[in-house]
Amino acid sequence: MSQTEQAPALAEGVGTPTPSGRSTTLVARAMRLWRTRIGAFLVLLLVVVAIVGPYLAPHAADEFVAIPNSPPGGDAGLLGTDYLGQDVLSRFLYGGRSILVMAFVSTAIGLVFGVAIGLVAAYARNALDDVLMRAMDVIMAFPQIMLALVAVSLVGANAGVIIAAIALTTAPRVARVTRGAAQPVVERDFVAATESMGLSRVRILTGELLPNILGPMMVEASLRLTYSIGVIAALAFLGLSPDPNGANWGTMIKENQIALSTQPWGALTPIIAIALLTMGTGLFGDGIARTAAGIDRERDDE
Amino acid sequence: MSESGTPAEHGAESEHAIRYGSAFVRPVLGRNLTRRQFLVGAAGVAATSSGLVACGSSSSTSTTQPTTTGKPKRGGNFRLGVTGGGSKDIFDGQNITTKPDQARLVSAFETLLTFDDDYQLTNEGLAESVTADTSTQYTIKLRKGVEFQDGKTMTADDVIYSLQRIGTQKNGLTGFAATASMDVAGLKKMDDYTVRLPLKTADSTIPQTLASYTFGIVPVGYKAYPAPQIGTGPYKLKSFSPGQQSVSERNPNYWRSGQPYFDTVTVVDFADSTAQVNALLGGQIDAMTDLPASQVQVLQSHQLSALISKTGGWVPLCMAIDMPPFDDVRVRQAMRLMVDRQGMVDQIASGYGFVANDLYSPFDDGYDHSLPQRQQDFAQAKSLLKAAGKEGLTVDLHTTNGAAGMVSLATVFATQAKGADVTINVKNDPNYYGDAYLKLAFSVDFWGTRGYLNQVQQGSLPTSPYNETHWPPKSGEGSNFASLYQQALAATDSSKRIELEHEMQKLEYDSGGYIIPFFGSLIDGYSPKVQGLVPSKGTLNLDSFGHGYRTIWFG
Amino acid sequence: MTWLRHGGIAAFIIRRLLLGVLVLFLVSVLVFVATQALGDPARAILGRDATPARLAALRTTLNLDQSVVGQYLSWVGGLLHGDLGNSLAAQEPVSKLLGSRLVNSSVLVLCAAVISIPLSIAIGSWAALRREKAFDTVSSNLMLVLASLPEFVVAVLLVILFATTVLHVLPAVTTIAPGERPWQVPTGLVLPVATLVIVVAPYVARIMRASMVEVLESDYVEMARLKGLPERTVLVRHALPNAIGPVFQVIAINLAYLAGGVVVVEYVFNYSGIGSALQDAVVNHDLPVVQALAMLIAGVYVVLNLLADVATILVTPRLRTRL
Repeated sequence: MSQTEQAPALAEGVGTPTPSGRSTTLVARAMRLWRTRIGAFLVLLLVVVAIVGPYLAPHAADEFVAIPNSPPGGDAGLLGTDYLGQDVLSRFLYGGRSILVMAFVSTAIGLVFGVAIGLVAAYARNALDDVLMRAMDVIMAFPQIMLALVAVSLVGANAGVIIAAIALTTAPRVARVTRGAAQPVVERDFVAATESMGLSRVRILTGELLPNILGPMMVEASLRLTYSIGVIAALAFLGLSPDPNGANWGTMIKENQIALSTQPWGALTPIIAIALLTMGTGLFGDGIARTAAGIDRERDDE
Repeated sequence: MSESGTPAEHGAESEHAIRYGSAFVRPVLGRNLTRRQFLVGAAGVAATSSGLVACGSSSSTSTTQPTTTGKPKRGGNFRLGVTGGGSKDIFDGQNITTKPDQARLVSAFETLLTFDDDYQLTNEGLAESVTADTSTQYTIKLRKGVEFQDGKTMTADDVIYSLQRIGTQKNGLTGFAATASMDVAGLKKMDDYTVRLPLKTADSTIPQTLASYTFGIVPVGYKAYPAPQIGTGPYKLKSFSPGQQSVSERNPNYWRSGQPYFDTVTVVDFADSTAQVNALLGGQIDAMTDLPASQVQVLQSHQLSALISKTGGWVPLCMAIDMPPFDDVRVRQAMRLMVDRQGMVDQIASGYGFVANDLYSPFDDGYDHSLPQRQQDFAQAKSLLKAAGKEGLTVDLHTTNGAAGMVSLATVFATQAKGADVTINVKNDPNYYGDAYLKLAFSVDFWGTRGYLNQVQQGSLPTSPYNETHWPPKSGEGSNFASLYQQALAATDSSKRIELEHEMQKLEYDSGGYIIPFFGSLIDGYSPKVQGLVPSKGTLNLDSFGHGYRTIWFG
Repeated sequence: MTWLRHGGIAAFIIRRLLLGVLVLFLVSVLVFVATQALGDPARAILGRDATPARLAALRTTLNLDQSVVGQYLSWVGGLLHGDLGNSLAAQEPVSKLLGSRLVNSSVLVLCAAVISIPLSIAIGSWAALRREKAFDTVSSNLMLVLASLPEFVVAVLLVILFATTVLHVLPAVTTIAPGERPWQVPTGLVLPVATLVIVVAPYVARIMRASMVEVLESDYVEMARLKGLPERTVLVRHALPNAIGPVFQVIAINLAYLAGGVVVVEYVFNYSGIGSALQDAVVNHDLPVVQALAMLIAGVYVVLNLLADVATILVTPRLRTRL
């Protein structure tokens, strides 16, 4: 998964400002595209697995069920056991929650700060704009995984640190996109009109500017979510997750990768889950992007 | 081991490994030291912040012919993958920081005495004999005609230089603590091949110490890498970059005729065992250290082999006896009763190991087998906690991705402790061996096989370098532990020594700070084209790395 | 300073350069402050072997007894003279420690760039030309799916497929002997490079396609066609230069990303590069190495962005005239 700051370029072709679509109509229109539907279905499916999974799991995530690396069947259950003799199915059902919660929370925090900074910068049109954007540049000079790695080693692999590191690296990327999308809107007459009506700045930013850039923001949100999931899973894969034996898809891949030839499910199940999840957010975001840009209209809908 | 030998067979073989050592023990140990020894020297412990180091020491050697069929052949580049290294890797004939350091040290440096595969001392090393003249004086007679890799003959001067280098505190070498009883300043050259070693206090463990692999003999004026590495060993260092690789070439003037067999030996650092196993499966390395126990079958399914050595290595849960909540002996006893030991052997070690009883050094002749085996007993544990006012206890347990099983042990223990309503929060800290090490109330550490008294000196005395549990207590039961140790060290009669060791173990069994669930086997993986590997009770992987890569070859 | 704001290409480049220097300065402050928080490096280094005497000695060697500002100045001063300090863990100059690793990682990134950039531009352009046809549909969807996969998933799948489980045709790890260069073990480069290409190319291809579609529909291309120029000329001389402008930015960002993102790929393939050096340094609290790598990666980011800005200006006629 590559890091990128250029979502709107894709979303809008090159730089045509999106007409102000309220999010509900935008999503409704986007849902006419197959890719959006598939994306939404995949995300929904895995979110449901992550939320409901722990209640359906036949065993506790850390329960010793059968000999380590047993293939499926008998005591070993539907998907067999892992390197510690724990039930792969149960660990899979438990293992999505922490990744998804951390990814959603960190992305949300990053979005809120990023959008706020981007809007303020776009609206300011002065030195504040420059200062804010240079500050964002400084943070962006550090790749997400690198900053997260240093932060986690510094403080320890607790959920708060991981969330903070990802939110911190998400915010400037969002801010840049927000500013880019908001700038043309700021130039338009109606903003000047609302200013003259004496509306407070906060009202102008949230009430007038924000609704006009919802399209690119939704695209950006799904893109950022995809990356957040990837980074959190990658950290777990590198052995840096909050709970070392906690069921976590990234950790499961790391732990059971060696045994692929004898007990493939221990690693394959979480690999498939993460792949479907990130594909889902990717497809969904692309569907929104296409709709917002009005590129594909209803043509793909067949 | 036959060419088609399965891992299971290797495991079985270690049980009846050929016993060569005893024939040499008596002359080596002299009249004061006739006890049967399973002890390994005290020196070799170290660890790093990256965590992986094997403790323990042994440079095992013997004339044991591997059961492999076929005559040793020359040639080839032997590539070994080792985890646990990093940019802290060093090359020093008397010092290690990481596990790859061990793998490299033994290729170029040798010790005065050696251990065989069954853990017996032998005099097949650089000394012909080490004799106790009195309880406080030893005489070392050197083998003649041994040359260093630069052609210089090894003499008494080199041995004196070597021991004084280790015994100088500011050099910061691994073996320093083990020289406490030696009067290194008083070392005396009797003739070119004879050295007299006086002691400050009586110490019956000197021969074991001299057989420790960190007591390598280096030439006068020797310095650590980046200075040239000149030892007496079978391979000479050609290139080395810490954290990555080293390449060594065959020493053409090696003193043991015929050996070694490989043209070159390459030791490759690996960040973790997954890449290491992948490299072995893909044929980029010929052997690897520390195969996770659960992967033995994986190797088999790929027509690769596992060398399973039933050693006395242990991964303890360490409770600091002077820190809450473990400053109450009832809490320590309760914790020890929460462990399903056989369950841990099955789950963590995939059955490759044997149950322990919170005591270390199972191969020591002073190991007390008569103490009742502790079993899981939640009712008793709960009532002890209740008596201590610590019901429903919650405690942090610190561990790291160090030696195999350190994280698994912590998490499995946390699961088992739930049965006594105790909550264990496992903290996996990559900087475990940094600031907090030895200051934690509850932590996981690791140790290699070692004789009882040597182990006590390393980990269970106020002067020990790595005393995680802060044992012994300053007052009350156990406060006489250190004095018992001194008596045992000076004991000339082995039954007296064993009696004292039993007394010490009883104290640790009743109120010590270690939870030792099991002794895990040392498991290494290798390609079937590697011949000559034999399971042993020793401490180092691949049986001392094929005795410095000289008793193994490509078939 | 107004001439800087409206002064043509030279002024634009100078402005970007100054901004780059400013960002680098701020980055250096940030790196320094953040690594100060890494705890006591002396103790971390000595670990199990920490004795008061050795701690004190090491603290002096590391200048830990100076004031914070003094430490910062001596560090930055060293940086400017190309002196990156000594690695605490390896006890040798950082430049020596990182030298060969830097070469190794650069080779990895360059190979990935040299393969992925033309490949993605070709795929993106071709898909734009064949819009809504089979190639476009298949490649767009494939690119979309691949772009979503985290790199460790891609790397693990490649190892399973080609090295350990399904086929045994390529090495699962890349072993580079001391003194050896990565191109001396070409087979070892295949899977890590392939991972990076799969990670980067889809995104660039998608941007290229979008940009190309835009340009092909523009009046400008329409004009060229109306003039009766051959389609080849229209595409190569007119459409491509205009379409590729926005793509430079994306390429720059992706290359900068690779410079840091190799961490995971190097981990999977046990590849001896800066990614594994960073992991090692972070675990060992090896301050000078962490600082050097952070500065290096941030520097790469700044320089690549600068280059991309300049390249975009130079290839895009519209923007050139706007300056």
